[in-house]
Amino acid sequence: MKSKDIRDIIGGFALVAIGLFAALHAQRYDIGELQEMGPGYFPIALGILLMILGLFVSIPAFFREGTSIKIEWKSLIWVLISISIFALALTKAGLIVATVLSVIAASIPSKSSWKTRLILAVCIALLTYVVFSFGLGMILPIWPWSH
Amino acid sequence: MTIADGLLLGLQAALQPTILLYCFIGVFLGTLIGVLPGIGALAAISLLLPVTYHMDAATSIVMLAGVYYGAEYGGSTASILLNLPGTPSNAVTCLDGHPMAKQGRAGVALFMTTIASFVGGAIGILALIVFAPYITAIGLEFGPAEYFSMMVLGLVAASTLASGSPAKGLAMVALGLLLGTAGTDVNSGVTRFDFGIPELSDGINLVALAMGLFGIAEVISSITRTRDAKSAEKITLRSMMPNKQDIRASAMPILRGSGVGGFFGALPGTGASIAAFMSYALEKKIAKDPSRFGKGAIEGIAAPEAANNAAVQCAFIPTLTLGIPGSATMAIMLGALIIHGIQPGPMLVVEQPALFWGLIVSFCFGNIMLMVLNIPLIGLWVSILRIPYHVLYPAVLVFISLGVYSVHNNASDILMVGVIGLLGYGMHILRFEAAPLLLGFVLGPLMEENLRRALLMSYGDLSTFVTHPISAWILAASALILLWSLWNVLRRFAQRRAANGI
Repeated sequence: MKSKDIRDIIGGFALVAIGLFAALHAQRYDIGELQEMGPGYFPIALGILLMILGLFVSIPAFFREGTSIKIEWKSLIWVLISISIFALALTKAGLIVATVLSVIAASIPSKSSWKTRLILAVCIALLTYVVFSFGLGMILPIWPWSH
Repeated sequence: MTIADGLLLGLQAALQPTILLYCFIGVFLGTLIGVLPGIGALAAISLLLPVTYHMDAATSIVMLAGVYYGAEYGGSTASILLNLPGTPSNAVTCLDGHPMAKQGRAGVALFMTTIASFVGGAIGILALIVFAPYITAIGLEFGPAEYFSMMVLGLVAASTLASGSPAKGLAMVALGLLLGTAGTDVNSGVTRFDFGIPELSDGINLVALAMGLFGIAEVISSITRTRDAKSAEKITLRSMMPNKQDIRASAMPILRGSGVGGFFGALPGTGASIAAFMSYALEKKIAKDPSRFGKGAIEGIAAPEAANNAAVQCAFIPTLTLGIPGSATMAIMLGALIIHGIQPGPMLVVEQPALFWGLIVSFCFGNIMLMVLNIPLIGLWVSILRIPYHVLYPAVLVFISLGVYSVHNNASDILMVGVIGLLGYGMHILRFEAAPLLLGFVLGPLMEENLRRALLMSYGDLSTFVTHPISAWILAASALILLWSLWNVLRRFAQRRAANGI
């Protein structure tokens, strides 16, 4: 059980990578000088700061123990699928269809039965219609044919 | 303008029926999302932000503020009944609140937390009324150097005091500042970090960032967590009545908690969570018998609940008078004001006194409404706690997506919230805190602007930040906080080495 603190090692190096990327990418903007900073000055300075802080996070982590990482893959993937479905379906198929599909996708990682999932999807679709379209007066496509 | 004039003006503004109605909607929604574990004031306010685009500035800020302080009232309900904090700042309330519920004293605990919240809120509003004019006067003297230093203090305090690891907190601030630079640079008109994607030329959408980091990430990590929903028993009004001893034991802790809360709330960078934690620690330290804490000591719920409400009210001091938000939630509120064309800061208090004082008076009304919502109507909230999470979270996801979509009527913003949610879940797994990132994101453009202006005025001389006395004092305070947290890290490191016997 002598594993290193893997969280901070990964996290720290991710920060170094982001900082490095930002500092390099911002080279294309005018840096200017201290008196008259160009658009590149602040991002480059932040990128360098982020690299230094990333090292401060990761290096001490090699010298201490940590716990293992547990990722809820199923929840993660289905939540992302649910959001993507909603984004793609909203303008094409309207609010009701988008909500029903998105709720069904989102409810897959939970322990509900298919019957509950369907009832839930219809109820939430009605609720969003009432709250957003009717109550708040947002202009939304409701049905696939309402364009 | 004297305080009495201001309050009179505020009373006129706040007594309008629409303001009262939206104040009520705000505190009602605030209590609701406070009661529900997993949705905090921050997510709720960012969700409501697009809704307020159609409203005028005063009504929308009164409503959003109501959500903010209302959540502190509702948050203790889940802490006491389910041992799950409704919002992060109610986490300490679990320690003694849930044992009280197990002893059959849930009603008393709910009653006392509401009273403590009310007194804390009242003292916080009083502090806001008394101190805001003074800080406004100081703020009028602020130049770009002072503003820059003040933001440094806020970010340093937020990143080091709030989190376990100062390096991780500071890194999140830096990342937030960096994300804040994406989009069009106001000085030169150059578009930065857009990677050729037209949607990014306006920068990252604040609502998408807040919802992704807090809403989506929280949903992903909570789906499989099972909840003990049975223990939410019925609460009768009779069971809520505290006895004489309860009241005597709570009185001083409530006052002390309000003081601690007010201080940490007004300090930029620290907020309700730290205030609640600090006041709990204080009560435990000065108690005659500290061993009672954690076993249902009423001081242990009264003090932190007073503290977090006082902190929430006092957090409006730096936001309104200086334009510098003290916490991530206040940063969203600041964003809301800016979207409505109002630039918070000393000029707001001077030029729009009706808005400033009207908001303060609405806090008084809101707190009174919350007393009614949380004592006679407690049964409603207890029954809401019985809604299982697997019914709740798909609705939360749809609401987030629609809320983000409504900002620009752009479906690609929904995909952006998904990407940010992935980042947020990654940060959650690696135990990086999202609040300092969000604070950095909002302050980033302001900070860059003031840094550039200060250096332009001093002809590139960096000493401008220490030759201005106010700026020098603020930077000295930031340095002190940094050194203190560094010392803490080294001390912990030494203790661990000693414990390992090396």
